[in-house]
Amino acid sequence: MSDQYTNEPLLDMFLFETEQLLEQLEQSVISSEKESNFSEEAINEIFRIMHTIKGSAAMMLFDNIAKLAHSIEDVFFYLRKERPSDVDCTVLSDLVLEGIDFIKTEVDKIKNKLPADGTADALVETMKGYLSQLKQETKPETMEAAPAEPEKQQYYISQVKTDTAECNKIYKAVIHYEDGCEMENIRAYTIIHNLKDIASEITYVPSDIIDSDESIHVIRRDGFQIFLKTNLDYRRMFEFFNQTIFLKDLELIQLEHDYEFKKIELDHNKIPALNDMVKELKEKPMHTERTDKDTVSTNTAQSIISVSVSKLDKLMDLVGEMVIAEAMVIQNPDLRGLNLANFVKASRQLSKITSDIQDMVMSIRMVPLSATFNKMHRIVRDMCKKLDKDVDLDIIGEETEVDKNIIEHISDPLMHLVRNSIDHGIEIPEERIALGKARNGTITLEAKNAGSDVLIIIRDDGRGLNKDKILKKAKENNLLFKNEEDMTDKEIFNLILLPGFSTKDNVTEFSGRGVGMDVVRKNIEAVGGTLSVDSAAGKGTVITLKIPLTLAIIDGMNIKVGKSRYTIPTIAIKESFRPKEGDIITDPDGNEMIMVRGQCYLIRRLHELYKVKTDITKFTDGIIIMIEQDEKTVCVFADELLGQQQVVVKALPQYIQNFNKVRGLAGCTLLGDGSISLILDVARMFH
Amino acid sequence: MKKVMIVDDAAFMRMAIKNILVKYDFEIVDEAENGQVAVNKYKEKKPDIVTMDITMPEMTGIDALKAIMAYDPNAKVVMVSAMGQEQMIMEAIMSGARSFVVKPFKEDYVIQTLTKI
Repeated sequence: MSDQYTNEPLLDMFLFETEQLLEQLEQSVISSEKESNFSEEAINEIFRIMHTIKGSAAMMLFDNIAKLAHSIEDVFFYLRKERPSDVDCTVLSDLVLEGIDFIKTEVDKIKNKLPADGTADALVETMKGYLSQLKQETKPETMEAAPAEPEKQQYYISQVKTDTAECNKIYKAVIHYEDGCEMENIRAYTIIHNLKDIASEITYVPSDIIDSDESIHVIRRDGFQIFLKTNLDYRRMFEFFNQTIFLKDLELIQLEHDYEFKKIELDHNKIPALNDMVKELKEKPMHTERTDKDTVSTNTAQSIISVSVSKLDKLMDLVGEMVIAEAMVIQNPDLRGLNLANFVKASRQLSKITSDIQDMVMSIRMVPLSATFNKMHRIVRDMCKKLDKDVDLDIIGEETEVDKNIIEHISDPLMHLVRNSIDHGIEIPEERIALGKARNGTITLEAKNAGSDVLIIIRDDGRGLNKDKILKKAKENNLLFKNEEDMTDKEIFNLILLPGFSTKDNVTEFSGRGVGMDVVRKNIEAVGGTLSVDSAAGKGTVITLKIPLTLAIIDGMNIKVGKSRYTIPTIAIKESFRPKEGDIITDPDGNEMIMVRGQCYLIRRLHELYKVKTDITKFTDGIIIMIEQDEKTVCVFADELLGQQQVVVKALPQYIQNFNKVRGLAGCTLLGDGSISLILDVARMFH
Repeated sequence: MKKVMIVDDAAFMRMAIKNILVKYDFEIVDEAENGQVAVNKYKEKKPDIVTMDITMPEMTGIDALKAIMAYDPNAKVVMVSAMGQEQMIMEAIMSGARSFVVKPFKEDYVIQTLTKI
């Protein structure tokens, strides 16, 4: 085929749609397997999806995918038609999932511009083998006999009320079709169908065009021969036949007598009229397309267009710039001290509109977590099979939305956490029953909004975390930073998030290498989120992820240190105050601490941390800002507070990021007066 | 310019057909992703030609074809099918479909078919 199908948008559409269909398909298979039954809707759905994937893949010349999809389609075509009652759902599910995995792998390759060079030949053979086994083993529910082999029909009596005496012109037509037009027999049938209005008697060779694929080869080799009687003149008949689509060659002869005609009739047995025969075929419920109402509809009535993510990113950037520009207008130094009542009013209006646009753009980028959550069904299923455990996955709040950029970073951590739960947390059925627990373990994935964050909670009812084992391992790996007795339970549990930690003695295939939880934490922190662990021995474990709704714009408190400006995310600020001399204490190691309502907190002097020159070095001249993240609190010391502002986070330029010495900065932003402010990375303040 | 409506539940397929047709003397007046929507849009937009996928949820291509033919006996509908759907194509022909195109299809075959009906 030509290379017309290598254009990017079409390929993108193929990838997008195929992935969507595969996800849908996976869900369908897994839930059918759970119910130990493939319902009629499920079979129809799976059949249709495989049919669609086959068609699209073939168009894009991904023949390996098309071949595999075809073989699975055949299996479900049979299941759809015969509805056998004793199908082994697990075996079938395994097969289809294997097929899905292959196609997923190929699609991933294509996405990454690699050749889709996997061979599914073995898998196709397995499918075919499965299908023939199915045909032998299972008893079809419907006791249909195979349709009676229609005998060579070729004799047709016109419905048209023409006086046969008038149809005195006899013609022979031989039609050759263009190579590769496919289904020549059906095309031939089309001619016969159209002839019935103008001819009184028709005979043709090969005769069994409807039912036999063999006829295609005969037509290709010898052409399609038609003998007919009509009252139309030669020119009219020629025109008629000439309209045939994909006509390569037409031979039309007007015959003087009907010897040849009669000869062919005699050569074959007299058979029922074409009409009757086809009517018979129609009545048999073969190949009926009466699909039941889809339980899962892919396209809803609402108007939706697809937009490229890069355009959304650009839009987001522009909105960010607009927010900055707006601040630069409204907070312009030129306006300082002026009484501008009307300007203030107008700028308020501008602010409101800017804010609305910002909200709208952010909402466009928001994507529900459902797709990510639903991927976990497959993970749970596979893990349970491998480890002989039974776990139910409950999903709550999947409609909760998160920025598209962030969603990509949540998938892997979530997978690891779910795997961990099943691997380490959930006990095997026998153990659970002995403990008086339900046989099936339960993992709950919950998402909900909490202010400007989204909380994702992974809860299991397994054996929970073992404090003693954790402490022991932490001691072994020198990971304890506090005295054992001083640690709260939660602090002990959170030790597992440290690098190099693992209590599983044998490293399993899925977890236990001590890199898992640390990497999960890093991934979550990379999107500005936090992770915390809690557990109750014997009851289960809860892991809570707190993810910001968006990375790009945050509420920040601007502060001054010497000539430099910094911004602290407002949500991290607990309180700020001017300290009193008496509250400051120095511990034996020389660390400065402050007492607040009976609690002691470490102080970080920002001017020392960032080596900034400032006149404000006495605590009583500056300001203490208490910041908190994940139950950890620290106090930072700055010159003064400048004011709260919505701030557009820009990443630090690459050359600064590469400079390792720069710690504790999450990004930078432009303030209203045009100066640059560095955004503090709160998490780093604790080290 | 012939006005065409493309009916297929796969967005990919609709795009593939559209990409071919717009290079020639065809104007895509609308698309539909199931038979029911196709019938309604036919009545509204009255295209010259309809390309109709056979395998679709909710209402099959054959049923949609019949509904359209009942509404407009002069409708020109071209079925889009996969290999192995001979019975259904024949039923479609008998129900009034003018011709058919088989997936995967080549550009010139699609154009030839749509031009000659």
